[in-house]
Amino acid sequence: MSYVPWATAAWLSAVGIYGVITSRHYVHLIGCLTVVQSATYVALLSVGYRFGSVAPIFYTRSPSTPAVDPVLQALVLTDIVVGATITALLLALTLQVHKKRGTVNPERLRPFRQ
Amino acid sequence: MIVLLILMFLLVAATGTGVVLAREPRRQALAIAVNGVALALLFVVLRAPDVAYSEIAVGTALVPLMFLAVLVSLKTDRPKP
Amino acid sequence: MNRRTRLVVAGICALAIAPAVAVVIVHIPAFGHHPLPYGDAINRAAGAERHVTNMVTAVNFDYRAFDTLGEELMLVAAVTGTLVLLRGRRGENVSDRAAQAGDRPVCERSEAVTLACRIFLPLIVTFGLYVILHAGLTPGGGFQGGAIVASGTLLLYLGESYSLWRRLMHSLIFDMLEAAGAIVLVLCGLLPMLSGAAFLENVLPLGQTRALLAGGLILVENAGVAVAVTAGFILLLLEFLEETRATRGGEKP
Repeated sequence: MSYVPWATAAWLSAVGIYGVITSRHYVHLIGCLTVVQSATYVALLSVGYRFGSVAPIFYTRSPSTPAVDPVLQALVLTDIVVGATITALLLALTLQVHKKRGTVNPERLRPFRQ
Repeated sequence: MIVLLILMFLLVAATGTGVVLAREPRRQALAIAVNGVALALLFVVLRAPDVAYSEIAVGTALVPLMFLAVLVSLKTDRPKP
Repeated sequence: MNRRTRLVVAGICALAIAPAVAVVIVHIPAFGHHPLPYGDAINRAAGAERHVTNMVTAVNFDYRAFDTLGEELMLVAAVTGTLVLLRGRRGENVSDRAAQAGDRPVCERSEAVTLACRIFLPLIVTFGLYVILHAGLTPGGGFQGGAIVASGTLLLYLGESYSLWRRLMHSLIFDMLEAAGAIVLVLCGLLPMLSGAAFLENVLPLGQTRALLAGGLILVENAGVAVAVTAGFILLLLEFLEETRATRGGEKP
């Protein structure tokens, strides 16, 4: 049981990077980057988890109930929203590439081609 | 509880693999939405409701929509000859 | 390098990194039994110190507000970059009709979709506002609520026509709102320094625990972030949807 979260995070990163390497369409490549990002979210939140704890919201509970780590949750939740805007920036760059070169296949877009 | 956790982790691994293996970008946009739902459920089980809110709103609605809008734009746009 | 070379290089790197990953996975403290000193310290102290009951909001907008400032400015920068790229390449002759791909027809909206969008739009916007306002009490905050409200306004485009969506969402207003949100957050950092406190120190009266207006400076920062995130996402959606429109008169500039 103890290795499952870390193995999942490692597997998601590996699969995402494999997708980036073997991609034939830039939009597909950007989707694989979101998978790599989600691997980091899984890893961070698994660090903060504790068995038998509740969410760190003490509206109806007393503050001494054992709860999970709120610092890591704060990191991940801003990261998700900002990651989406970075994805949007990458998509805008893809549109630029399509306008200039006519293709969005990474294998046909080599630099310094005369 | 432990069984639920293990199942959710395996589900997230499976949907993540599905996103990568969906080679056609239109299918991949829907695969990203499914991955978003699976991640949100995992975050709820890991006792992180705030993070689950973010992930549902962003990963299920906004990112797939931007992907689809870009795909439409790529298809209907003819570059300069 | 072609695909096979890339895969071979990636395979060699994976083989080189895999032992390190395996060692880390074996030696990391067991899942669920991590010692969490900072988390425990904040859970014990933040409720009494800041009069909020949502510890994640307290961390986000008070204890680690400097990180939130950085994330917010990163969001503004990414949205600005996207807008510059998309608006710059588009030019002026864009009409309201959907662009057509070959001879595939453009479908009409069905009335069921319009009805469903009209029912759900006020519900989603209200829910998003609830999530934003209850940042300090229950799960919620500016980032989450902003994303929810922005994705809710998309139902305007889905249910009604494109011209209604374009007329109701003036990009000038949302430009100003996004900048205003970022400026509010920066001012929340600078203004406490006028009275001798530290940058981003919580100097407003804290209120009672479990009241809606508790937390002091957390509320102001939360409002700033919510406005900036909502406006930023709506701007992104405006630009991406504008890309799918046909040009007026036929030829792309």
